[in-house]
Amino acid sequence: MTTEPIHLEVRSITKSFYGVAAIDSVDFDLRGGEIHGLLGENGAGKSTLCSVLSGLYRPDSGSVSIDGHELQFRSPQDAASAGIGMVYQHFRLVDSFTVAQNIVLGLRKGQRPKSIRQVETMVSDLADEYGLHVDPTAPIWQLSVGEQQRVEILKQLFRGAKILILDEPTAVLAPQETDRLFEAVETMVAKEHAVVLVSHKMAETMANTDRITVLQRGRNAGSVRTGDTGPADVARMMFGDAKAAERTTIAGPDEVGDPVLTLSNVSVLADKGMTAVDDVSLTVRRGEVVGIAGVAGNGQRELQEAIAGLRPTTSGTIDINGTDCTSTGPKGTMRAGLAYVPEDRLGVGLAPGLPLEHNIALKNHDRAPHSRKGILSTSSIEETTNRLVEDFDVRGNRKGMRVSLMSGGNLQKAILARELTEAHDVLLAAAPTRGLDMAAAAAVRTHIINERADDRGVLVFSEDLDEVIHMSDVVLVMFKGRIVGRFVRDEIDVDRIGLLMTGSQDEEAPADASEASIVLADRVDNERPAAETPPSTIAGAAS
Amino acid sequence: MTSLIRVEPRGHAGSWVRFGVPALALLFALALGGGILAIAGNNPFEAYRTMFDASLNGWSAMSRTLALATPLILTGLAAAVAFQMRVYNIGGEGQLYLGAIAASWVGLYLPETTPMVLMLGAMLIAGALAGAFWALLAAIPKAYFNADEIITTLMLNFVALSLMNYLIFGSQSFWRDPRRPVPGGKRLPENAILPSLSGRLHFGIIIAVVAAVVLWWILRRTSWGFQIRTIGDSPRAASYAGMSVKLKTLGVLAVSGALAAIAGVSEVSGVSKGLEPRAIATEIGFTGIIIAVVARSNPLGVVPVAVFLAAIATAGSRLQSIGIAVEVVFLLQGLIFLTVTAGEFFVSNRVRFERTAEAEQPGDSSPTTELPAGAT
Amino acid sequence: MNDSLLVLSIASAVVASTPILFAALGEIIANRSGVMNLGVEGMMLVGAVVGFWAGNETGSLTLALLAGGFGGAGLALIHALLAVTLRVDQTVSGLSLVIVGGGFSSFIGTSGEPSLLSAPNAVDVVPFFPEALRDLPAVGPILFGHDVVVYLGVVAVIAATWILNRTPSGLSLRAVGEDPAAADAAGIPVVRMRYLATAIGGIGAGIGGAYLTIAIVGTWQNGLTAGIGWIAVALVILAGWRPWLALIGALAFGGLNGLGFTLQLAQVDVPSDFLKMMPFIAAYLVVIAVSGNPARARRLAAPAALAQPYAREAR
Ligand SMILES: Nc1ncnc2c1ncn2[C@@H]1O[C@H](COP(=O)(O)OP(=O)(O)O)[C@@H](O)[C@H]1O
Ligand SMILES: [Mg+2]
Repeated sequence: MTTEPIHLEVRSITKSFYGVAAIDSVDFDLRGGEIHGLLGENGAGKSTLCSVLSGLYRPDSGSVSIDGHELQFRSPQDAASAGIGMVYQHFRLVDSFTVAQNIVLGLRKGQRPKSIRQVETMVSDLADEYGLHVDPTAPIWQLSVGEQQRVEILKQLFRGAKILILDEPTAVLAPQETDRLFEAVETMVAKEHAVVLVSHKMAETMANTDRITVLQRGRNAGSVRTGDTGPADVARMMFGDAKAAERTTIAGPDEVGDPVLTLSNVSVLADKGMTAVDDVSLTVRRGEVVGIAGVAGNGQRELQEAIAGLRPTTSGTIDINGTDCTSTGPKGTMRAGLAYVPEDRLGVGLAPGLPLEHNIALKNHDRAPHSRKGILSTSSIEETTNRLVEDFDVRGNRKGMRVSLMSGGNLQKAILARELTEAHDVLLAAAPTRGLDMAAAAAVRTHIINERADDRGVLVFSEDLDEVIHMSDVVLVMFKGRIVGRFVRDEIDVDRIGLLMTGSQDEEAPADASEASIVLADRVDNERPAAETPPSTIAGAAS
Repeated sequence: MTSLIRVEPRGHAGSWVRFGVPALALLFALALGGGILAIAGNNPFEAYRTMFDASLNGWSAMSRTLALATPLILTGLAAAVAFQMRVYNIGGEGQLYLGAIAASWVGLYLPETTPMVLMLGAMLIAGALAGAFWALLAAIPKAYFNADEIITTLMLNFVALSLMNYLIFGSQSFWRDPRRPVPGGKRLPENAILPSLSGRLHFGIIIAVVAAVVLWWILRRTSWGFQIRTIGDSPRAASYAGMSVKLKTLGVLAVSGALAAIAGVSEVSGVSKGLEPRAIATEIGFTGIIIAVVARSNPLGVVPVAVFLAAIATAGSRLQSIGIAVEVVFLLQGLIFLTVTAGEFFVSNRVRFERTAEAEQPGDSSPTTELPAGAT
Repeated sequence: MNDSLLVLSIASAVVASTPILFAALGEIIANRSGVMNLGVEGMMLVGAVVGFWAGNETGSLTLALLAGGFGGAGLALIHALLAVTLRVDQTVSGLSLVIVGGGFSSFIGTSGEPSLLSAPNAVDVVPFFPEALRDLPAVGPILFGHDVVVYLGVVAVIAATWILNRTPSGLSLRAVGEDPAAADAAGIPVVRMRYLATAIGGIGAGIGGAYLTIAIVGTWQNGLTAGIGWIAVALVILAGWRPWLALIGALAFGGLNGLGFTLQLAQVDVPSDFLKMMPFIAAYLVVIAVSGNPARARRLAAPAALAQPYAREAR
């Protein structure tokens, strides 16, 4: 007996938050044996749709059916029983548990192997079958992000998922890891599984899927066969007719000035006491953008915090604009001329429960004109706020409203407004465009690049390799707490950067490099124009 | 798709909601208390009438209530200032005892000829310092070892209580009056007693109200207050902005301890006129926590809430005349605490009942939802 | 030998530790699911008054303890409603239980006709082991001289350890306390788990309170727990959320409680007020010592999502 491949149909699903529809009457369908791309820019509603399918969110209206039977998911458990497995954008693993414990967590009596040993062997077998190798006895917190992703996938396969939804799986991977992921996906599809590949990157989606459904501002902008469609059409579906922001043309630096930020042999510990940053030295000069590429979790956050004075160093020195700031704390680095846009906007960069005025005055509330002799001038704070809201086009604020209710793009603009209007010589920006939609991301990049024109230095961290390459004059690669590569603008070698990001030695490089370079070249050439030029030019670029 | 109850976070609660919900919660607590009274075989209406007459009806009742509200305002402020930074000072009780001990020592030690203003000033300062010291015993471990201040402040309450009992009941200390057959404190000289305003109501109420206004101003209008509020919302954002969370922890707990201790000064100097453990140890410190929560940590809100709880407490003793145990006072206070705490949910969330989700159009909810248009 | 000072004081420490142990075990279970309940003192008082009342009505220790457990669980469920469903600040909610529990227990204890305050203890608490064992030198009074509840405490420690570390339900419970979002995605009913664990916490505190009034104090007095509930809360931190260490800690605090009795026998003259301070000073110091300990193993033991509410659709 041949069984029909599984068939999932979604009919006009709507889901709102705070009365605003995140997805609006979305249709979607999926069959076993296909890789289905779900494409859309940040905030388009991809994760929301996936969370509805995984039983996490209850839709306001609409229906989900599998093989013609309409289903109502009350919990992730229900969706799992129907064969849907989801790998969330932010992994849902218990850090202190082992791989095997995470995999059997929550399984009912009948579904659960007798002993944890048995689970471990089963997991190993499954891992071999799909080429997703992990140590089943390792605790999650010891694993790299890529390994954790494999655990998530194995967990779903172990539970018999027929439909696998991967939400932005490549965002956290180095290029070579991405290739391995797609090999595993091919294996799944060969077994008649259906895979939903969520992404906001067009090139990657076009290269690896059979069909694509595009979401645009919460609406389904159409589904197409990948092979039958050109990038121009897909781009139009993604962005609509809206004019995309102009790509900022970046000329190389005219002249590089004196160093404004110098790190010499800096080492830093992580929260758990292990070395997170290992003997890092780097220099940022006036009129120069230095970008640090790397997979998340390789010491970037600790390094940022150390530079900002928020985390003690165990050795080495940090010099900002001629002042030794190794142990002066955040006040000292601010005074020395550091502006800092942290990775975590809400919670570090901003006090989420307080109003915008408060957050704008966060760093200079204790100085004139905002206060005199310790007494605040509320009118002056208000004035500054109004001015910056105007200058940086921060939208969505209302008087007295907690700032956390503003959108990510506006929050980032508010932080930039605060940081860039204070006197400073060097800007440290971490993941500055993460999660922003295209227009907001472009605005943020423009602000950052303008810093260079104003003869300041910029150090930017990003997991998005394309972004780093696009913005930087010098690219450094960070792996396991060390700087493992340095590339000057005209010598940037994407393949080698990719390899270095995963810790491959240079000797090994030639072996994989040829293959990797094809994928990477493809990524870079298609991707960047897709994100930053109006749709009309994309066709030209791709053809 | 039927879902009966829909909960949505409120974008921005208007003042109507912020004050209306706690008020409703208070009423609900009184209703619950009435229910329990009825089950226990009493007439709740009669009980509440008696309570009203005893505590709010007429100036003499009112002055009794205000006299009781005096220390409650101060312990309420003590808890509120710490809550503003999301530090939980549960040690108001112990800090109050320390204030009482120190102030009565000063009052008994300084010569009786000391001018009243100096005498009272010295007592206030000594009391405040003692309370601040007691709070720092918890603040320092909190700031430097991250030791849970809830536990440490609480443990110190029991220590302070035993200490005070020891001074009067367990030893022939400087505070104890050797001539009295029943153990008790020496009476303070006249110049160490806060002047009476009317009956039991004394000058302490003025100190308390002024303290509330000053504290409000400090929190709202000074950069110290700005930093306290930042830390209360997000300690990580505060460190990022270069604020010293450690120093502020010490500062806020010291201020908090001092305020609670001033309540103790006000009690020994204005009410018991000597160190009298039985008169002082009546859960004033603990009640301050309820007051701060109900007042949502707003110093100006503390005053009316303290008066309200004082009214309930004043009325308690009168209830015995109609056969209801005084303990009902604590029950009512607890219920108020509970319902107002629960009410917090309804302040920050909107709860709607609906029959079917299909009946609701997407556009439907937007007028009532207070979300900025720019949110994506 | 059997009435030697040391033997008697150890034996009394064992009894005095029992209410602390039950309360602390309950709190460990609740904490491990991510719910912090500071209302132990209140739950113990309610358990005590309800247990004492039930004991008076029935004369049965079992029924008294059951009733105490129910009383504590009743109050705990209010906390669950506030903390889990309504997601209010767990510190505030827990404190409100202390006040409600204190108020309710004194109101009930004072209100009856005649009130419980004047009631004698109607429950006979008898030793569990036969006389032959109890008369053994030293070990007799220390190990075999107690009532059944003391031994149930040890059984409860073993059971809690086993359930938490060796069973799938324990794994699920811990997952909910470590990372509720991950637990939810894995199909564990987070809310149900947390209600259950909170209720178990209330049962522990309630049994502890009932035992305290019936077997140790012997009468009902308003506020008779006098801080024992808080000691239990502190103990949970010191024990690093591990049942076995809670057992050892409870014995130590029981010993401190009985210290006055011991010193009196030894004819050492220490003012009783200072003796009363001892357990609280000890708890204060130990909480600081544990927090200041740079060995992180202990701190890692705190459930990662302790006191954090979980809402599936919130970000
Ligand atoms: N849990 C939530 N609460 C409130 N708003 C949300 C929530 N999840 C998503 N949104 C909003 O819904 C929209 C779509 O978000 P999302 O599905 O995460 O987009 P994508 O995954 O395509 O980037 C965004 O505007 C986002 O702010
Ligand atoms: Mg997403």
